[in-house]
Amino acid sequence: MEQKNGRTVQPQVEYLVDRIKNGDREAFMKIVAAYQQKVFILAYSMVRDREDALDLVQEVFLRLYEKIQSYRAGESFQAWLMQIARNLSIDFLRRNKTRKKSSLDGLNLDRADLAVGREDPDRFQTRELVYRAVQALPEKQRLVFVLHHYDELKYEEIADRLGIALGTVKSLHFKAINKLRKTLSPSLRGDR
Amino acid sequence: MKVCSKYKKEWPAFIAGQLPPGKEEEIVAHLRVCPGCRTELEETRKIISLAAGFKKEIEEVMATVDWESLPGEITEKVWQQKEQKMPAVSPSRWRAWKWQPVAAGLFLGLLLGGALTFMLLKPQKPGALIPRQEAGLTWPADLVERVDVALARRETIDYLERSQYLLLDLLQNSKPGESGFIHQEKIRQLLTEKKYLNNQLDDWRLMKARAICDQIELLFLELSQLSPELSAGELQKVRELVEEKQLLLKINLVKKELQQGEV
Repeated sequence: MEQKNGRTVQPQVEYLVDRIKNGDREAFMKIVAAYQQKVFILAYSMVRDREDALDLVQEVFLRLYEKIQSYRAGESFQAWLMQIARNLSIDFLRRNKTRKKSSLDGLNLDRADLAVGREDPDRFQTRELVYRAVQALPEKQRLVFVLHHYDELKYEEIADRLGIALGTVKSLHFKAINKLRKTLSPSLRGDR
Repeated sequence: MKVCSKYKKEWPAFIAGQLPPGKEEEIVAHLRVCPGCRTELEETRKIISLAAGFKKEIEEVMATVDWESLPGEITEKVWQQKEQKMPAVSPSRWRAWKWQPVAAGLFLGLLLGGALTFMLLKPQKPGALIPRQEAGLTWPADLVERVDVALARRETIDYLERSQYLLLDLLQNSKPGESGFIHQEKIRQLLTEKKYLNNQLDDWRLMKARAICDQIELLFLELSQLSPELSAGELQKVRELVEEKQLLLKINLVKKELQQGEV
């Protein structure tokens, strides 16, 4: 069941979901085992903290259990689960916006920010800049970028996971790359 | 520029080497003549490369997580939270269940009490129900009334008949000018019966019977004052009174009328 072709595993997932609806602990554990890494990658790319990401994974599966009765057979389970993960990650970032100064929401990735990267071309620093630029992308573009480059999903798989059209995925990815290039170009040129 | 934008869309696939051979060569040819696209492609390549760096970071972090035990831990926590939520619900449900019989009893008591009060206090109309405690049943009020009148009619007929027999016995067993004998015990018995009968004779349908019964009662009261052996004069006065009032005739008529009215 683990991974790539979501369509072929759907009946098996729905069987497990039915069992979870009846309070089957074993089935729930199997679902967690199958999707925990996907949820973690999404959560970590959003919050970039191991413990926070692990807390989010737990929260996502708790929410899944609470809402499992609302899941309808025939829907993409993965897309449904990722929607929960995405919403909880965004909520997490909002909650921590005021607490953490390094909050990603509202970051102004202007030239000055990137100039810091040019002055200090340390590999970690550059990676940090890319990470922040990715977080500054519009939500859908960011998700497509994260799933394509961090989760190494093909466009078709992203379309299945997010429940959107293949053409939309391609378009969102192109826009994300364009925006990142524009935002990071001073840093990238300096790094050259 | 139009040509450029056509190729720009393909860069991620070009970098990943996922384009069909013909398309790839087309882009390579364009890049040779377009320095702007070369710059943009280089930047895109860097971004993807840096993203791959972040991917490496994720992989490093993921390597520190015990994925085998995590499902068990998550499941345990989810089930704990589920059970923590359950007791918050179950005691109140238990309490509710515990008090259910009491609540049900109170409700039933109120319902029955209300119904009994209503039936006892409500005005009795024809067709309405009234309680009959003796039988523990309820009957339609008009039926009960009809039964009461029928009983009163029967008892009145009985009273009139016995009064008639007593008077006939007194008047027919002695000829005019002779003394007579009256059964004082029977007279007292009839007088007592009349007292009980009075309540029943209050009904408007027994008005005629009541009038004749009252006259009989007066006569019996007079007779009860006399000695059992009547003198010829006393007997004559009784005879004259009975004839004057046409008591025997009236008794017959009222009796017939009452018998015809019987159900």
